[in-house]
Amino acid sequence: MTDQADLERGYRRLLACYPPEFRRENGQEILAVLMAGARDDQRRPGLAESADLIRSGVWMRLRPSVPPSARTVQAAVRLMYAGAAASAVGLIFGMALMIVDLQVAVSGQFLGHSLIAQKPFVITVSIAFGLVVVCMWLWMARANGRGRNWARILSTVLFVLATLQLRGAFTQPASHAGLGVTVLYYGGVVPFVAAWLVGAAAVWLLWRPASAAFFKPPGSTQARRRWPGDACGPVGSQLP
Amino acid sequence: MILTALANGSQHGYGIIIDVREISGGRVRLRAGTLYSALDRLRADELIVVDREEVVEGRLRRYYRLTPAGTRRLAAEAARLQAAAAAALMRLKLAGGMAT
Repeated sequence: MTDQADLERGYRRLLACYPPEFRRENGQEILAVLMAGARDDQRRPGLAESADLIRSGVWMRLRPSVPPSARTVQAAVRLMYAGAAASAVGLIFGMALMIVDLQVAVSGQFLGHSLIAQKPFVITVSIAFGLVVVCMWLWMARANGRGRNWARILSTVLFVLATLQLRGAFTQPASHAGLGVTVLYYGGVVPFVAAWLVGAAAVWLLWRPASAAFFKPPGSTQARRRWPGDACGPVGSQLP
Repeated sequence: MILTALANGSQHGYGIIIDVREISGGRVRLRAGTLYSALDRLRADELIVVDREEVVEGRLRRYYRLTPAGTRRLAAEAARLQAAAAAALMRLKLAGGMAT
């Protein structure tokens, strides 16, 4: 009997990978199926079984919950994931540029405009900012995918801010040493511009008339109740 | 496969796993995670619905059944597979005919 209890606890932990809403709806049932499929002497979830649960759970969390009726929002959400990827590429290029710049400075060929060498603070802030931007994309993709109206508004505000920042990117001089640095500089600007274009398309899609029905008026999301008696509620609290 | 398992009446989750294993001659062993992702998608696409719920040994057991749209989809898919299989058999027969 304790074997059974151990096994069940193991399965419950794995089920924590699923989004809470899905777990409330299906958790008990999946658990029943898992227990029914287990061997009598089994104490732990099998490796392949665990991998399958983790994979499915993570997939369900990442997958935007957009009904087929809201294709425009679905497209916008996909674009936002693409925007996150473009920003990540931009960040990597930016970091490469900084490293090259730093090497140039260190090797003694200091060529005037080394924005980095004297300013490790700038490097840290730039990397942190780049990471924040990537996270913002992902957050907006998720929130818009769930039909949150505030996310639609916030996305638009962020897009306007990005537009203001984009103007700054072009005024920054790319004038120094070597082809390598120049290539890296433009390499850094291209994903940035690409991300801006992606953002423009996503915002446009979010405000299309077809998207309007998907975004519920604020307040209606609170109508969703939590079920207090659900067996899968306290999964998180059972974790050590 | 899941739609096929539901073709002759409603089934619960574990029933579908057993059924799919039988239909495939033991080759396809659905895992619970995969099954419930698929059921969730099929429900969202309105190809299946929950038929009824029972409580067995203190656990909820849902029975799923095909919707008319699900039946149509399964029929279309089966016809497509049949046509593909017929074409394959036909060509094999022709090739066999030429070889001998």
